[in-house]
Amino acid sequence: MRLYEYEGKELFKRESIPIPKGRLATDAESALKASEDMGLPVVLKAQVLTGGRGKAGGVKIARTQEEALRCAKELFDLKISGFPVEKLLVEECLGIERELYLGISIDRVRYRLAVIGCPEGGVEIEETARAFPEKIKRVDLKVTEEMLPHQAIFLAKGLGLGGAHLRPATDTILKLVRVFRRYEAKLAEINPLVLTREGKLVAADARMSVDEDALFRHPELSEMGIEKRHEEGELTEREKKARENGIPYLDLDGDIGMFPGGAGFGIMGIDFLNFYGGRPANFMDSGGGPTPERLAKMLELLEDNPNVVAIFGARFGGISRCDDFARGVVMFLKEKGLTKPMAMRMTGNMWQEGVRIFEEARKENPALFTNIEIYGIETPIEDVAKRAIELAKTKKEGARGGHSR
Amino acid sequence: MPRQRKKELAVAILVDENSRVVVQGITGGAGSFHTKRMLEYGTKVVAGTSPGKAGQNVEGVPVFDTMAECVEATRANVSVIFLPAQFVLDGAVEAIRAGIKVVVVVPEHIPLVDMMKIRQEAREAGALVIGGNTAGIISPGKANVGIMPDIAFRPGRVGTVSRSGSLTYYVADTLSSSGFGETTCVGLGGDPILGTTFEEVLDLFDKDPHTRAVVLVGEIGGVYEEMAPPRIATMTKPVLAMVAGVHAPRGKRMGHAGAIIEGTMGTAKEKLRALEEAGAHIARTFLDIPLILTRLGV
Repeated sequence: MRLYEYEGKELFKRESIPIPKGRLATDAESALKASEDMGLPVVLKAQVLTGGRGKAGGVKIARTQEEALRCAKELFDLKISGFPVEKLLVEECLGIERELYLGISIDRVRYRLAVIGCPEGGVEIEETARAFPEKIKRVDLKVTEEMLPHQAIFLAKGLGLGGAHLRPATDTILKLVRVFRRYEAKLAEINPLVLTREGKLVAADARMSVDEDALFRHPELSEMGIEKRHEEGELTEREKKARENGIPYLDLDGDIGMFPGGAGFGIMGIDFLNFYGGRPANFMDSGGGPTPERLAKMLELLEDNPNVVAIFGARFGGISRCDDFARGVVMFLKEKGLTKPMAMRMTGNMWQEGVRIFEEARKENPALFTNIEIYGIETPIEDVAKRAIELAKTKKEGARGGHSR
Repeated sequence: MPRQRKKELAVAILVDENSRVVVQGITGGAGSFHTKRMLEYGTKVVAGTSPGKAGQNVEGVPVFDTMAECVEATRANVSVIFLPAQFVLDGAVEAIRAGIKVVVVVPEHIPLVDMMKIRQEAREAGALVIGGNTAGIISPGKANVGIMPDIAFRPGRVGTVSRSGSLTYYVADTLSSSGFGETTCVGLGGDPILGTTFEEVLDLFDKDPHTRAVVLVGEIGGVYEEMAPPRIATMTKPVLAMVAGVHAPRGKRMGHAGAIIEGTMGTAKEKLRALEEAGAHIARTFLDIPLILTRLGV
């Protein structure tokens, strides 16, 4: 879970990693006020939960008050990778001697923390890593292992810092490791770490991502206003609605609605439909053990989506049981009804009970099921996917036929 | 497709009919529900833990306060965890220290640091931790440890290892209905940091005389599929690989430092390329799997 730059810097400050003087502004006037108080020139930085801010024009330098106001207004009008700019960080301008890179991440291959330094910061570090791998210096730490000073000195020297700069650099590296550990980060990055003309080391930027699954251990983060947040930029109306109901959902550009179980099959379903010549309209995941209410909500997202002409449903009951699944579908049919044809397959844990629930509901009101074909384990899932594609085709041809003159 | 059944002696890796299973968190909703299911399957569930509830029983299975007491009283050697994510670190380490050699972690969203600590503990003790966010391990006809639905599985000669529960079921479903059946199916789990990786399970399958081929199922994201190729290259048995997400829209990126470590890893195409280069046979859909196995004479 990504943090804003100003939040990352607040965490740096708590560990006494030097950061530039700065203030947060939520409108152009307060940005102007901040730059007056701080003394010009200032740098104004859009606060968004995405990278590539510099390239998108999200960072501006103002030398006069007029410039500060104009830049602030421009920034607040900006949208960066779908994120509207709602906050600016107004900071003092640093006199830059050199820009370095320092970062920590989790290496999932080696099950280690990887502390990485590069003497060329401020730029796209991946590019440097690809073109000049020898410039990347790295120290690996076991999860329970403290970083020792000599390891930090090795990295500091790798950054090209020696003499009077060695000590502050070593300090900064050790402190960044502490920040990383203290708040259970997944990523902590200072790019650039600036060596100023006065010979000081300052974290000019802060890019941090924390483990959202560990937030329960960090009330101090929630006190700072850091709660679980979405970081995918602008959502479509349906994606918003899905999110409000806690359903992982993504709009795609096809016409077959997917109503699958686990995330793995949610992803594989996209491949399947494509492979057999269909076009999925969405990605969706029910999550483990969904309630009938949640399943009904999932169907509603597809029923209400005008792009969806047919539905491909799949349920392999594991921790999510077929009886709960059937209850959710029946609940939806009774409350709202399904106007779109659906081919679905249901098998796995409690499938007999699931079939019984469907049969009972069908007996009660056969009209509810006119659009639905239910298959079991005897039909391969591929055949059900193909059937959904066929249903979509028939439906579209029917619609076209109806409008032709 | 009619379901064929072949009578064949199948042996298992990791769990079998002699495994003595403990359910950690047996008094919870999922714990008790799946204990019942596992027992019905014939799995030897010998005990459960739930601190403060020693002396009770769930589905006839005795409950203990601690893993040490549990292991001492029942000689349990496999555990399956149904605890909330924040208690998994303690539960898994407790199990390993009590001498359990196979720990199955069903819950998802375990903090990354916790999973790394668990992995370290397991390595030092020579134990294997499967998961988090795994559907478990099943050796059809012998033992089902976790939440996998029985209906998909039949004893047979193919091993499967997968990061996704739902995909494991579909692969097994295909193997069962085409008559190949399974020796053991291992769900590695869907969490970002896993206790066990593909190549470690491939190693077990390669040594198992009853496994004639292995199906590896991966998905977009993460790095674990890319660690498998060196082991695939040295396997004495054919490996079939399937990776979900070839058509998935581009996902979120972790960030720079992560990208330096992981490079171009993570896309389905890159994973498939690496697996194929190492000699794996690529299945594009489940139905490809029996076709390839037949072609290879498995």
